[in-house]
Amino acid sequence: MAEKTDKNTVVVEKTPTVTFTLDGREVTVPKGTTILLAAQSVGIDIPTLCWHPKLTIAGSCRMCYVEIEKWPKLAISCATEAMDGMVVYTDSDLVRKGRAAVIQFTLMNHPLDCPTCDKGGECTLQDLAFAYGVDNSEFDFGKHRFGATENDTTFDDVVVGPEIVLNRNRCIRCYRCIRANKEAFGEFDLGVFERGNHTEINVAPGRRLDNPFSGNLTEVCPVGALTHLDWRYKIRVWLTDTTSSICPFYSSGSNILLYTNQQQNKIYRATSRVNDDIDDGWLSDTTRFGYQVAMSPDRLKMPLIKKDGKQVEATWEEALKLIGKRLTEITEKKGRVCIGGLVASSQDNATLFSFSKLLRKVVGSNNIDFRTDYRMLPQTSGGAYDVLCSQPFSIVGINQSDVIVTLGSDLVKEHPNEYLRIRKAVNFGAVSVYAMNPYRTKSSDVAKKELVYQAGTEEILINSICLVAIEDGLIDSSLAGNLAECISPSTAAESAELCEVNLEDIRAIARALADGRQITFFAGEIVGRSINREAIAAALCNLHRLFGLSGRCQMNILPRHANSCGAVQLGLLPAPVLATKDMLSKLWGGWPESEPQTTDRMMANMKKDEIDGYMIVGANPIMLYPDREFATDALEGLDFLMVADLFETETTALADVVLPLASWAEYSGEYVNLEGRVQKTHQALKTDYDARPGYEIAALIAQQLEQPLFENDQTRDETITKVLAVDSTLPWPDEFLEVKHVADEVDEEYPLVLFVGDDSHHSGYLTEKSNSLTNFQAEPYVEISPTLAKRLGIDDGDSVRVESPVGKIVVPVRISHHINNDVVFVPMNFSGKQVNSLIMRKSRVDRVRISKVVD
Amino acid sequence: MSFYSPVRTNAQEAAKSDSLPLFRFVEDPEQTKIDTYEAHGGYQAWRKTLTEMTPEQVVGEVKNAGLRGRGGAGFPAGVKWGFVPKGSTKPKYLICNADESEPGTCKDRVLLERDPHAVIEGMAIASYAIDCHLMFIYIRGEFGYAADVMRAAMAEAYKKGQLGKNIHGGGYDLDMIVHTGGGAYVCGEETAQTNSIEGRRGNARMKPPFPAVAGLYGCPTIVNNVETLASVPHIINRGGDWYKTLGTEKSTGSKIFSLSGHVRQPGNYELLLGHNLKDLIYSPKYGGGIIGDKKLKGVIPGGSSTPFLKPDQIDVSLDYESLASAGTMLGSGAVIVFHEETCIVWIITKLIRFYRHESCGKCTPCREGTAWLELLINRIEQGGGKPGDIEKIESICDNIMGRTVCPLGDAAVMPIKSAIAQWRDEWQYHIDHGKCLVETKCELAPGN
Repeated sequence: MAEKTDKNTVVVEKTPTVTFTLDGREVTVPKGTTILLAAQSVGIDIPTLCWHPKLTIAGSCRMCYVEIEKWPKLAISCATEAMDGMVVYTDSDLVRKGRAAVIQFTLMNHPLDCPTCDKGGECTLQDLAFAYGVDNSEFDFGKHRFGATENDTTFDDVVVGPEIVLNRNRCIRCYRCIRANKEAFGEFDLGVFERGNHTEINVAPGRRLDNPFSGNLTEVCPVGALTHLDWRYKIRVWLTDTTSSICPFYSSGSNILLYTNQQQNKIYRATSRVNDDIDDGWLSDTTRFGYQVAMSPDRLKMPLIKKDGKQVEATWEEALKLIGKRLTEITEKKGRVCIGGLVASSQDNATLFSFSKLLRKVVGSNNIDFRTDYRMLPQTSGGAYDVLCSQPFSIVGINQSDVIVTLGSDLVKEHPNEYLRIRKAVNFGAVSVYAMNPYRTKSSDVAKKELVYQAGTEEILINSICLVAIEDGLIDSSLAGNLAECISPSTAAESAELCEVNLEDIRAIARALADGRQITFFAGEIVGRSINREAIAAALCNLHRLFGLSGRCQMNILPRHANSCGAVQLGLLPAPVLATKDMLSKLWGGWPESEPQTTDRMMANMKKDEIDGYMIVGANPIMLYPDREFATDALEGLDFLMVADLFETETTALADVVLPLASWAEYSGEYVNLEGRVQKTHQALKTDYDARPGYEIAALIAQQLEQPLFENDQTRDETITKVLAVDSTLPWPDEFLEVKHVADEVDEEYPLVLFVGDDSHHSGYLTEKSNSLTNFQAEPYVEISPTLAKRLGIDDGDSVRVESPVGKIVVPVRISHHINNDVVFVPMNFSGKQVNSLIMRKSRVDRVRISKVVD
Repeated sequence: MSFYSPVRTNAQEAAKSDSLPLFRFVEDPEQTKIDTYEAHGGYQAWRKTLTEMTPEQVVGEVKNAGLRGRGGAGFPAGVKWGFVPKGSTKPKYLICNADESEPGTCKDRVLLERDPHAVIEGMAIASYAIDCHLMFIYIRGEFGYAADVMRAAMAEAYKKGQLGKNIHGGGYDLDMIVHTGGGAYVCGEETAQTNSIEGRRGNARMKPPFPAVAGLYGCPTIVNNVETLASVPHIINRGGDWYKTLGTEKSTGSKIFSLSGHVRQPGNYELLLGHNLKDLIYSPKYGGGIIGDKKLKGVIPGGSSTPFLKPDQIDVSLDYESLASAGTMLGSGAVIVFHEETCIVWIITKLIRFYRHESCGKCTPCREGTAWLELLINRIEQGGGKPGDIEKIESICDNIMGRTVCPLGDAAVMPIKSAIAQWRDEWQYHIDHGKCLVETKCELAPGN
């Protein structure tokens, strides 16, 4: 708490300035700027080891010495503020001597094993030793060795986590890793032990370094003390090329660099391509190690077609011909449009748009959607939910807020970047964070208060905030209008009771919303996945109106996937918003007549034989649709199913034609992040087998149907740009919406609420193909609270049966403090267990019971 | 671990004197009891503070008294208190620094063990002066007995209404926490100490911000030495003007000197500042001369971190200014005496071992430099010194001095630099002949 000054951020507001002399030139900077940053701003490079632009200042390495006239001793520029009239030298004799001494001290016990060190070639110490070191050290004693005792055989490398390897001898004790872990990620699994020159960084006793951001530590380490297993001893860094790309898993679109070797056609690692507006230089482990998915040996290498009930390898020509033939046949037989499509929102703009055109223009249907894991979606657009999703949102806006409220979002798992942003806001600013979740999440670490409500009562919870504001007179009473008539229950106390929350906590949030000058308020997947999403969104619209949040709040329901926003804007919804629809029908000269059908409705209609042909691109509904039986029945009932994917999955197993889909690393593409920012990936790998990007597949299918999609790629991309330029923001409703409480039935037999979602090291169904990520977590588990475990007599790691009215699975238990006693969490990322067989499509809250498996 | 230190004091002299207030009752075994302490006039200053004085008046009185920090730096206490930002809405904290660990220094221990209420009273008055309602005493981890005594005294003070809510009906609340350290010398440095209390690793923080602005839990914090605070009640009782008459013009008051080493009567002696160092060593009232009537080799006057004085330099007044002009420091007042049969290199091996062990590991120069120095100095001591080693030591010292966040680095190298400057021939002999010029005969008087 004491070190809450963020000297690393140059203050941009109009503050008083200071003028001083830096290496003979006059420099003017805002008051409070350190000499180091002032020097950087005019292109003077001062060497550093412990300083890091995103972390608090340690001032311990002493590399950044400068000489200041009239000062009795050398000053460290990272921590010394520039003052009027100062005369500073960054490269005087005294400074160079001081730095040389630091390098000599630092190298004293350093093993100098550069030839076998993976950091070689990109090591700060190596560079600085080159610049300031002497070729003959005056240190003529044996070097201190960590772990060099009889009992400790871990002489050099200690594997401290699933991916991270620690070499204490190379460590220069800059404490960057400790600071990053604590400040940026809020993790405490790494610590400092011993003292003096025996000081060592190590993993906390009994822990492993497996937090969801652990990979970043290898990047903040300026030397080879922290490296990751996946990169070690594979290639020298100077033999790689870098390709800029973005994260294909999360909706914020972290900027990454892929390190590749073209001859070997291989990606060796991913690092951050620091973008202060988006990722702030931090990557989640899923983003960092996810590239391995593209290089998995399990990739689909050739098309498969079903012959006599068996899938056999085929050529693209055969496969495409078959697709063309079957699609034509089906349409002719039924005499109407009975073909649909599901294109995942992890695909790039070109793919999404091409399939959109294929379905709408060529096939002539509105049966198109990008959502795999949302149940009971509304058939129309423009409701409260769409209004919220369409609102502008900015990631840096989080840091400009004085009040941050989240609803129904397990942030670390869904939006790791935004979680780190909120942490940063809390570390460096006066911000109040309130999280509202149906179970305790890691947001508790950053929130002033994490409000845990009864699952499925989100809309009542939001109502209660509104009611408290009216009852306590926190808002102008004229704003309240007829709200009280639109919502039930009609008192805050009753609502709070239904949600099982403390009215005082509701009051605190209401007060923060009433007083906040700049508010960020967003909902996450727990709202998105809820069948009640429309009511929750309506309640949020009411809240927005009641508190008069326009102009002082960014409110949104954040999308989940890398290109969810692109999908919405490019018209991948069965019923796109009006502006988009108008644009598209203008471009395509008309709009299909057919009824718009969501994934959900299409599946229901497959059973009724009203949808006969279905094309899936990059999605796995059998594994992820929240009702496995329903999805399986639906897809099995099809006449023709085409699936394009990277791997063989549960869904491809049912397909008549399976096409190998190129991964994001194998072609260049554009993605729209949750802010609406269009970002580019570049080709990093050549597909050495015959996988093709989605847009190419769409074009080939269109060719088979004898209606080419676009003249060429350029016209396609120009059209995409045009469509993306359409403002699809929907206006806030101009009246209060009705939000009434509907009681949920609770079956006493199944007392525990089940939440499914992503593991903190996985995202979707692809990441289990990354070796590094499976090193963190390879199989599903059920997360339960210590109290529940005790009550049921279960230990960590025990096998338990998780049963719902419709299914059961057996998984090991993981005891966690980030969950409530009446809630269990099961990750959906692992194909080994049929987690979605526990879920029913129509239930508002999924409920289960668990019991220990006795062998 | 309870252990009462049977150290010799000049309490009898203090009891008769009017001007040595700290030691007046330290030989009274009942002094740790609050009733005895009160019977001896204790807690009157505290009552007077609460009932008659404003915080500004308290600060003014202490400023007027010229009381300077007894922990080593000698910064005026009243001025330090004045640094607490006016009108800050944050809580303020007072920390009594009882992490006395400088080799040779054992003055605070006597006060903690034998007159704990004087410390509590001083802390209370200082707290009032800075508007602090929760004060800490950070007691060195090894001082188990002192901590026990302090906790018992604190319990008594609460019971008697000297601490707690609405003290003496004046509407002032004050709570106290006894915090024991984990055994790190560096935690005697005020910012490392605040980290330690917060439960962090005891590493020094960068200044600015100074603790008076942002210290414990980011709030304004004043850290004062035990002896400094124990002097405060006397200043309140008798006035700054009286206190000013003690000592010299710029170094007012009395100070406890911990005399150790090759003297006949090692002990803690309360003297007026400005007392003659030679008298302290040789007077039968105090040191009683060198054991075995040997000749004096040198003196460390202010704790192991201060430069040595040679025999021709010891006719010097023990005050902040005089010692500074003699090229050394008053420091914590720990006078360590060495006689002629002590090898300077041997002395330094002991000191550097301590500082290498206590370096916290944060700043590169201190972390690596102290380890290197220890290797070099041990090599010389063991007869393996190489030509150029002395220059190497000096150069390493220069690269540590003034190059670290906290003063531990400076403390480590100051005695080394001085030892080389004063006895360079001995170092050179060691290197040239592989053995001591004067062989160390390690005999100490009882009580060391």
